[in-house]
Amino acid sequence: MLGYLVRRLAQAVAVVFAMSVIVFVGVYAIGNPIDVMIDPGATQEIRAKLIEQYGLDQPLWQQYFVFLANVAEGDLGTSMVYNIPVVDLVFSRLPATVELVLVSVTIAGVVGIPAGLYAGYRPDSIGAKAIMALSVLGFSVPTFWIGMLLIMAFAVNLGWLPSGGRGDVGEVLGLHTSLATADGWSHVIMPAINLSLFKMGLLIRLTRAGMVEAMSTDYVKFARAQGLPDRQIVFRHILRNISIPIVTVFGLELGSTLAFAVVTESVFNWPGVGKLIIDSILQLDRPVMVSYLIMVVILFVLINLTVDLIYARLDPRVRLKGGA
Amino acid sequence: MTRTTLRTAVAAVALVAAAPAAMAQELVIGLRAGPDSIDPHWSTLGSQAEALRHIFDTLVDVDENLQLQPGLAVSWEPVDETTWDFKLREGVKFHDGSDFTAEDAKFSIERIPDVTGPMSMTLYTKYVDSVEVIDDYTLRVHTKGIAPALPNDFTRLFVVPSETGMEAGNEEFNAGEKAIGTGPYEFVSWQPKGDLVLERFDGYWGEQPEWERVVRKEIPDDAARVAALRSGQVDLINYVPASDYLAMQNDSDIETFVSDSVYILNIAPSVKDEEPQPITIDGEPVDGNPLQDLRVRKALDLAINRDVLVDVVLEGLGTPATQLMPEGFFGYTDELGKREYDIEQAKELLAEAGYPDGFEIDFTCTNNRVPGDAVVCEALAQMWSRLGLDVNAQALNGTVFFPAAAREEYTMTMSAWGTLTGEAAYTYGALTHSKDAEKGFGNFNRTGYSSPEFDKVFGEGTQTLDAEARRELYEQASFIAMDDRALIPTVILQTVWAADADTLDFQPRVDQETRAYAIEPAGE
Repeated sequence: MLGYLVRRLAQAVAVVFAMSVIVFVGVYAIGNPIDVMIDPGATQEIRAKLIEQYGLDQPLWQQYFVFLANVAEGDLGTSMVYNIPVVDLVFSRLPATVELVLVSVTIAGVVGIPAGLYAGYRPDSIGAKAIMALSVLGFSVPTFWIGMLLIMAFAVNLGWLPSGGRGDVGEVLGLHTSLATADGWSHVIMPAINLSLFKMGLLIRLTRAGMVEAMSTDYVKFARAQGLPDRQIVFRHILRNISIPIVTVFGLELGSTLAFAVVTESVFNWPGVGKLIIDSILQLDRPVMVSYLIMVVILFVLINLTVDLIYARLDPRVRLKGGA
Repeated sequence: MTRTTLRTAVAAVALVAAAPAAMAQELVIGLRAGPDSIDPHWSTLGSQAEALRHIFDTLVDVDENLQLQPGLAVSWEPVDETTWDFKLREGVKFHDGSDFTAEDAKFSIERIPDVTGPMSMTLYTKYVDSVEVIDDYTLRVHTKGIAPALPNDFTRLFVVPSETGMEAGNEEFNAGEKAIGTGPYEFVSWQPKGDLVLERFDGYWGEQPEWERVVRKEIPDDAARVAALRSGQVDLINYVPASDYLAMQNDSDIETFVSDSVYILNIAPSVKDEEPQPITIDGEPVDGNPLQDLRVRKALDLAINRDVLVDVVLEGLGTPATQLMPEGFFGYTDELGKREYDIEQAKELLAEAGYPDGFEIDFTCTNNRVPGDAVVCEALAQMWSRLGLDVNAQALNGTVFFPAAAREEYTMTMSAWGTLTGEAAYTYGALTHSKDAEKGFGNFNRTGYSSPEFDKVFGEGTQTLDAEARRELYEQASFIAMDDRALIPTVILQTVWAADADTLDFQPRVDQETRAYAIEPAGE
């Protein structure tokens, strides 16, 4: 177990290194951030001074080592655009994204898994067919388009919900979240549903496939012969057996949504990290790009680790050894 | 009004509590971009100045056509060639109750080099050599050389109290602690990329603004901004996209406000001895650079049908451009008429220049910088193909375009340029004067255009303190640059604001700023 953790950690560090090199080389290849940011009226003198001030006149390897040295001291850098430490900047936006993503994966899980179980349990019923048809829509129709339809319907025409933004922030157990207020919920519900549709479709199909397969296995037949009620067979035995792929996909989706919920965030003007990173890329705000991606890598590693630990819990045959 | 009432009623019965309806004295504006910081000396970004203008005043103000107006300075005049005196307004209070004096103005000028960021504001203090306080209400500025444009530079010079201290930076300003100005509104709160909340300052020296509370919401996504207006979340939005503008024309619930902007889409043909991307005929590079021939540049100009660009390509949201800045700006010349469209003459000129069958040329543009840049790019390529040219048009993201343009890797480009100061020196000094690091000219001259005649006339203008004589020289410079086709202007872009019909009185501005204190409820 310990060896496994150490190895995982070493992998994470390697990925972080590789990624930071890629971002540095990439930004360097595109050009000088000062040329994107600088005011058209600036003189050569001002430009030269800025390039020197931000260390952009140094050779690339030198800039990179300065960055590494700072990271070693725990300093991930300061945004060139906002002049705010990157860590503060990301954490000022992270709560909004986390609450949006949590609500959306909860909706996806609470609706998607039971719907998938039902569709697999009674594959020929009309309900099952309807669920499967809807699930196809869920991951084939573009997110931004559904988002705009939702806004047109519920915000513009019906006027029930606000068209965007984050609502009032309340305090629950010391956490500042908009999920603590009714106004907050009215703001989060539409983008969360929008964000959950793709995941919901995926979960429905995965669960159904597992369910259909499990229904024809021997252990289900024996359980039935034994006279166990269907409810117990489905929730206690089948669900547990088909959980591994579901948990895997769920984990990956959780990570990618947290890191890149940018489409939904733009359409609903949600003040999350997705929009921050896109703007940083457009402005070549390199400190934000590098540091944010490092945080994303760490996030993915943590989520995958959690998923692996859950595997072991779900299936006693899985042992956490040295392998990945 | 009925729509609002209905909406409020629906909201009241809705199961989920909707946001409370906006109070009468509150103005909520949905904007494409907001500030990067609350420190007014951090960045030259237009959306930054626009937002911070509510909290801080500048020494010199500008009207809706960017011509100079008194601000915290009531008058200014040159004392000798390198000295300017500014008479300051008396009886002005900061939000913390302290008095505004010349010390505060001096401190603000001196603070800029210490705290400014990558969009460096030293641009506006580059002529300042030293600042002297004559008395509480007289500020004397000694300049490096003759600086007739100093009052224009001071239109972005925001004044903070001298008690702010040199140590205070973005953190203290963003937290509100140091966000103390003399402006019509007091700072309440702000988040990067989020809402800027402002409250009316009762001790303001100017006319009391109409709204007690102003919320400036940053909504960068065009569709989301329009939806926010239509759902009643905001009262006014800026930068309405062309497609929505058309729909709004047929919608009696929405009122639109249209204005020319300072931005003009200019074509920049490289006139260097060797063009960066080869111009070819049948795959073979042409001898020399055809763009060096004035007849070729004239042909390119004549082949552009600007009315089609405006009416068809930009859906009416533009004005044909005659020169590098809009009418009424300091240095705009009336000598230049409407730019003609004459494809036959263009073909003749091209044949005379020795290219009867045209040539193949690369043409690179931005695609996300201003509304319509990519479509105008495509349309220009088509117009030139009628001239017999084979144009490889490519519209690139600004993140890629600008660094490569700075390295002068393109043969011919098109991008937007705004004469942000409302006077010619800003544009000509950067774009059309020969490259001259010592004088600080030609920093954005990527074409290699260098005309001794232009440099002389314009250079003389920059050394002339008398405003009328200077205006004349700049007008001459405009004529020379356009006659040479140093750059080829195409269209002046327009911007659109939208609000619920009959709710607001609003005077659109050429600098595209949305100033809450200049907006009034309709019918008052």
